[in-house]
Formats: sequence, structure tokens, C-alpha cells
Amino acid sequence: MPSLELNDVGKAYGAVPVLDGVSLAMEGREFVAFLGPSGSGKSTLLRIIAGLETADRGEVWLEGRRIDMLPPGERGVAMVFQHYALYPHMTVFENMAFGLRNAGVLREEIAARVGEAARVLEIESQLEKKPGQLSGGQRQRVAIGRAIVKQPRLFLLDEPLSNLDAALRMRTRVELAQLRQRVDAAVIMVTHDQAEAMTLADRIVVMADRRIQQVGTPMDIYARPANSFVARFVGSPAMTLAPVTLLDGEGAHARVRLADGAEIQTRVPRGSLDPGAAHDIGLRPEHVHVVATDAATLTAKADLVERLGDRTFVYARLGGDLPITAEDAGDSRVRIGDTIGLRIDGAAAHLFAANGTAHHAEAAG
Amino acid sequence: MADARARRLAGIAFVAPFLTLYVVILVCPLLMGIGISLHRADLFGARTFVGFDNYARLLVDPVFHQAIGNTLLLTLMIVPALTAITLGLALALNRGTVAAAWLRGLFFSSSVLSVTIVTLIWRFILTPDAGLVAEILEASGRAPIPFLSDPDLTIPALAITTIWWSIGLPMMLFLAGLQQIPQDIYEAAALDKAGAWTRFRRITLPSLRRTLILVVMLQTAAQLQLFGQAQLLTAGGPSGASRPMVLFIYEVAFVRWELGYASAAAEILFMLVLAATLLQYWAVRPREDQ
Amino acid sequence: MSAAAAPRLSPVALMLVILGAAIMAAPLLWTLLLSFKPNADLMRDSGTAFSAPYTLENYAAILQGSSLVRWLVNSLIVSLGTTIGVLILASLAGYGFARLDFPFRRTLFVFVLLGLAVPEQAVILPRHQLFAWLGLHNSYPGLILPGLVGPFGVFFMTQYFRAIPKELDEAAMLDGASRLTIFWKVLLPLTWPAQATLGVFTFLGSWNDYWWPLISATRSDRFTLTIGLASSQMNYAQTSGLGFLMAQAVFASVPILIVYVVFQKQIVRAMAGTAAR
Repeated sequence: MPSLELNDVGKAYGAVPVLDGVSLAMEGREFVAFLGPSGSGKSTLLRIIAGLETADRGEVWLEGRRIDMLPPGERGVAMVFQHYALYPHMTVFENMAFGLRNAGVLREEIAARVGEAARVLEIESQLEKKPGQLSGGQRQRVAIGRAIVKQPRLFLLDEPLSNLDAALRMRTRVELAQLRQRVDAAVIMVTHDQAEAMTLADRIVVMADRRIQQVGTPMDIYARPANSFVARFVGSPAMTLAPVTLLDGEGAHARVRLADGAEIQTRVPRGSLDPGAAHDIGLRPEHVHVVATDAATLTAKADLVERLGDRTFVYARLGGDLPITAEDAGDSRVRIGDTIGLRIDGAAAHLFAANGTAHHAEAAG
Repeated sequence: MADARARRLAGIAFVAPFLTLYVVILVCPLLMGIGISLHRADLFGARTFVGFDNYARLLVDPVFHQAIGNTLLLTLMIVPALTAITLGLALALNRGTVAAAWLRGLFFSSSVLSVTIVTLIWRFILTPDAGLVAEILEASGRAPIPFLSDPDLTIPALAITTIWWSIGLPMMLFLAGLQQIPQDIYEAAALDKAGAWTRFRRITLPSLRRTLILVVMLQTAAQLQLFGQAQLLTAGGPSGASRPMVLFIYEVAFVRWELGYASAAAEILFMLVLAATLLQYWAVRPREDQ
Repeated sequence: MSAAAAPRLSPVALMLVILGAAIMAAPLLWTLLLSFKPNADLMRDSGTAFSAPYTLENYAAILQGSSLVRWLVNSLIVSLGTTIGVLILASLAGYGFARLDFPFRRTLFVFVLLGLAVPEQAVILPRHQLFAWLGLHNSYPGLILPGLVGPFGVFFMTQYFRAIPKELDEAAMLDGASRLTIFWKVLLPLTWPAQATLGVFTFLGSWNDYWWPLISATRSDRFTLTIGLASSQMNYAQTSGLGFLMAQAVFASVPILIVYVVFQKQIVRAMAGTAAR
């Protein structure tokens, strides 16, 4: 059965639009991440699904039931809030039981469900404590437990990891992955952190400027970004975009020239491109290698060298001051200010039309 | 949507109980007061419209002039002294020692007493036939001082009693203000070799500006309305020498039963207090040069 | 108090503080001393206060049928009634103004705040008329109602509700709680510190109120302590004497001093609250 369906959901605060007709369909038990910068509308969309905001237009369906007219408590969704929003004056047990009490669940059933959730989340010994006595990680688990006990059809996670320190974030990421294995429901997570989205989600919904920019699996989004925004937003360090001119020629694939004269042979089908228009080439760092200057396609000046141990990223400048990011081996000898040679893996390059639309390389062979 | 209308009604239901009482017991009397001040009216409901006659009478009533004079004199005697004393106390007692905590408690304790108890206590401090001051003077061989009957001494006596009674609140306000000054400013000043006086002048006082204005204005508003002390301690006497405005209003309304005339006096007092309050908002408004 | 880093007091400042403390304490001790003296001794010379004999007879006289006990009960009824009323009204209105949406919400809030600038003098005479028409003088409602309309409580509670994260309301909405449940079970329990502060503040103000009960309660069986003591102070000649009068003052101060000692923290916080206004 399909899980969540959004049909043309739109909203504005007065004259300021925040969502422009968003549509989406989720599979049952799917884990979807809403990824985007702040102001992209992703949180508003989550709150509309939860019922904390009302959409101006459009419909929200969950498992065949229209829910956008229902109050939040009757929609079959549960939410884990960014700052957990645990009730400070209630014990952990009461926090988890509160929603069930409001729903009129029997006392024994409440005890059983809370007990089970506490066991799974390993917070059984904390049940009589108040949230103020717990660590950040424990509070996070209570917040998750409060959602689980309601046995919702859809979990909503609002920036669930943003409040945790780096070490705890990694562990909680693993726990969230386990959680989705255990629960029989779909999950939506809002995040601005692409690593979270890439590691946890089945599909990612990239949002920007009040719209969905692309929906796809993490690898899809990374390898075949729908437009230049997605290309720049996903992947770290970001993809290099540089203006190029298309060269006339006979081959099936486009050949382009950078501003400093260097030419690159791509595998982007020539037929899809508008020959007269301006384009940008998109190059991921792993497709720009540092090589000896005499073997190089082009040369650049290193601005910043970021050594990660297993590899090195070099942020450099081409002639004409164009920034480019390249990858080098972990034991790279490049230093700031060096003139370096770059070899470009043209077969992996993307081309973007002036309106942002992407044209991808054909698979080899 | 019916749901939205129900929600809006629910909102009104939460504020309605207070708002109803507020309108009936505060707003209505406020407007009625203006109306009554334009009438010749007694306590029992007789009303004749007289326009601004009551105000015109007040302008030439020497008893009212005396009451305004007394009120302003009391305010001028009490507010600066109280402000200076409480600021000094706050500076002296803004420390973590047990003694300081006890002294703060002592200086605040009089504030929780009612005006009746305060005047009862001070009557038997000041009265020349049985008061503590008289006993002390007597023990050193001097004659007792008639604080409560000498026209030159009644206002100072009221001022002293009021200061003793009111010391707690401004002291607490100054202490709260002092607590909000970040300690590192003082540490930085100490590194710059600023002396105690310089630190007070250049850091403490400017940081307390808001509190200082608040204290002065709260006290001014309070002392313009001084009532119980004067009524109980001196009954405004002798012959009106210590009668403040509120006592004038009380006597006109409840002794002479001239409600319209008393209401007009009350409106004038209201304007004075309002002016003091507005002056405070004006003085603490955010400045662009800061 | 955290600022323990203050420099040592100079000897002059220390002397001034001690002198001030003595002036603060002397009247209180003098009152206490007089209250333990036989009235006859004081009649002769109040200087006898510094020497024996001391007695409890003045306190015994209070408990044996002076009106003071009656006035104390009246004061308790009025002050507790006012306090409970203010807490209920201010909590409801504070929640409404802070969290709910209804027509003219901001306008009404400003309308209420303007009341902060209205001194008692501007309303007390017409209010006396109004209550006379309503037949409320010399009644408990007549003494309690005026204490309920001060805007400070509403302002204070509104600010407090606003400071509670909205995420809590939203979590409760997703937990299926009704508006009333959210108010009653989620938010109200969190305002306990504010309730305590506002409650103590209101109680003190009501207990010590003088002007209104003076003109509203004219029958001696409806006097509050404040008014009752004022009447016996005025009729000093008719009482059994100075020691008895001072014992009354001490007796009447005890409840409020207990409240002060127990709730010192809340009182100080309320004071700081007026500063934030």
C-alpha cells in the first residue's frame, strides 16, 4: 500500500509563499529524507504533514485516508522534535504514556507498550526519572520512545541529530537505522545535513526555493543531480561549476572549452544540448586529479590544502580566477601557493544549461 | 471552517473572565470618575452637572494648594534620600557573605508590614510623651521633640517613617541591577588600574541607569499617592500642615461627602502620576546613541 | 547572590551600614519590648520598658476575645481569596494571550497593559459608588473583587507562558491532547514558579491593602487586620494601653513575617520582575 501522498500542497504566510505546490508519493515502510537549506520549505512541509500548520491548498493522504483536515493527534503520525519537547514535569514513563492516555488506551496496554519501547531503547532504568535528569542521548531515546509507543503509520523526525555532539551523532545515526528496521511504518526525516540523509534514507527529497528539486535514491542524487542546485548542494566538498563553451565537432559527445583555453572531451550526448547557449561544466573533486604539470590538462594555483589522511583536497584557482576543487593522494606534497597540474576525467563531467538543467554523461560502453 | 471558529471562541473563553472584571471594576470606574468630576455629587447619588466648576474651584482652593505643596515636598524629601540610601546599601550588601544576607533580610523586612503597623510602631518612636526618641533624649537630659504636632516637624517625621518603610524594594531592585553587570568588566577595569571610585562612576552607575530611573519613577509615583502614614500618624495636622493630596481627596469624599469635588482632585492626581510614569518610559526608551 | 567578588567595605561604610541596621532594627525591637510590658507600668513611664517585670498578659488579652482574631480571619479570607482569584484569572488570560488565536488579541493585550498606568486614586471613588449600587460593601466579595483586576498578574503570566517552548504544545497536540488538556496537564504545571511568585506578591499586597478596605469595610466585624488596627490606633485612649496595642502590632505582623521568611526567594524574584517591566 502507498504510504504518504502529497498532492499539490501549497502555503504562503500572507504574501510570502513558503511552498509552491509540492507533490510526492511514498512507499510503505520507506525512509525518506527532506534535505535542503534553511528556508527551503522542508520544515513547513513536515509541519503540514503533522497537522501543526494548515496548507492553503492541496491534499495529504496517509495509507488511503485523507488526513489534512484531521487534528494532529488523529492522523496516525508521530513526531520526534528537534529539541525533543519532552514534558519537563513528567517522568519518562509519563512522557511516553501521555499520548496513549489521551487516546484512551487501557492501563495494562499502556504499561506493556511503554515497557517494550523502553526495553528496545535501553532506557528501562530511567522510567521514573524526569527529563532534566537525563543526558542528551537519553532524552533523544525518550523522544523516540514517545513516538514508537503510539504505533504510528508514519514517523516524522525533525532534525533529529542536530542537537547531539559529534560522537553521539554517529551512534544515534546507527540507532535510527536500526529503528527503521524494527518499526512497521514509513519515516520522514528533515535535515540540512547531507551525510545524514545519504546514510539513512531510501530516497532523498532535495528541497530549495519552496519546491522539490529532485527525488531519488542517495546514489541517484549524487551521480545524476537534476540541476545545478542539487549538484552543488549534495557532495562534500561541493562540485566545481565552471563556464564553458561548446565546441563544434562531429562526435556523438560534446567537447567543451574552459575560459583559459583548455579543452575537455565529455560523454554528454551532443544532441541534448543547445549549441549556441552558455553552459557550465560540473566536476566532482574525485574527477579532478592533481598530476605533474607536464602531464596536465590544465594548470592551477593552490589556495588551500585540506589533508584528510587517506586523501587530500586541493582548493585551487584556474586562470581567470575560477575556483576548482581537486583530489590528490593522502601523501600529497602540494603546498599553498604551488602551481599544480590537473587532469580532468572528462567522461564523468556533467553539463548544466543556463537554467540549471543537468545533462549527464552516458554510461560507458 | 467550523473548527477554526470553535478555536477562536476557545481563545476568547480563556481571557473573558479577566477581561469582564477588568472592564467592570477598572475601566468603568475610570470613565465614571471623569463623569463624576464634572458634577456636583454626594456619596448618596445626588448629581448636578456643573462642567469644569470643580476644577476651577480646585485652582483657587488654598487647602488643595497646601495639599499639593505637601505632596511635592514629601516626594522631594523622600525620593532622593531613599534612592541614595538604597543604592549605597545595595552596593554594600551585594556580596555572598552570611552577614550580608541577614542584613538584606533586615532592611527588607519593614516592607512586608502594613501601613497600619508601621505607623503604630513609629507613633511610639516619635511621640513626645512615650516614644523611644523622647526616652533617649530624656536619658541624656534633653526635652522631648514634638514630632507629630509641630507644623515644621510633621512632614520630616512622615518622610522618615516612609523611608524606613520603603527601603526594601529599591534596595532589591538595585541589587538585581548589580547582579546583571558582568564581572569581567570589573576585571578588565582592574587590569586597567581603575580605582574604586572610577569603577563606580564609569561602570556601575552607567550600568544601573535603567534601574536608577525605574527606582526614581516608581518611588515618585508611590509618594505622590502617600496616604496611610499621613492619615494615621498626623491626621494631616496640625491644621493641614502635613495633609497630602490623597488625604485631601479622602476627606473631601468621605468627611465632607463632596464626591464630585474629590473626583476632580483625584483626576488631577492621576494626571500627575501618569506624567511620572510616562516620563519613565520616555527616559528608558532605547537610545540610538547607545 | 553570586557576586561575592566585591571588595572589602571601608571602615566608614561599615559604620554606616551598622548604623542603618540599628535604625532599622530599633523600632522593631522597641515594639517587641513594649508588647511584653504590663500596661500600668507603661502608663506611668514608657522608660520602664527597659527593665523587668515583663509579662505575656497582653498576648493573652488578644486571644481572649479581642476583635483581633476576627480581623485576622477576615484578612486571611480576603487575602487568600484574592490570591487564588488572581492566580486563576491571570493563568487563564496569560495562556489565552500567549498561545491562543482570537480576534483583537494584540489590541486587547495592549488594552490590559494600559491598566498598569492607572493608579488606585483614579478609580477608587467611582468604584466605591459602583459597589454601593451593587450592595457589595461590607462583604468579602466587595473586599476581594478590586484585587482581581490588576493587570500585572496577566502581564506576568503571559510573559511566562510565552517563554515556554511552543514545541511542548505541539508535542502534546500530536499526542492527541485537547486545548484544555494542554493547558491543564502540560503548561500549567510548568508555571509553578511563576504561580508561587505571583501568589506571594498578591497575598502581600492584599494583606497590607489599606485604602480600599478603609472605605469599603465600615462595620467592625468586616474589618481586615489593617483597618482594625488602624481603628484601635485612632482610639488609642480607649484601649487597655500601650503594651496591648504593641502586642496587637506584633500579633498582626507574625503571619506576614512568616510568609516573608518562607517565600523570601519568590518575593525577591517578584521584585526583580517589576524591574523587567
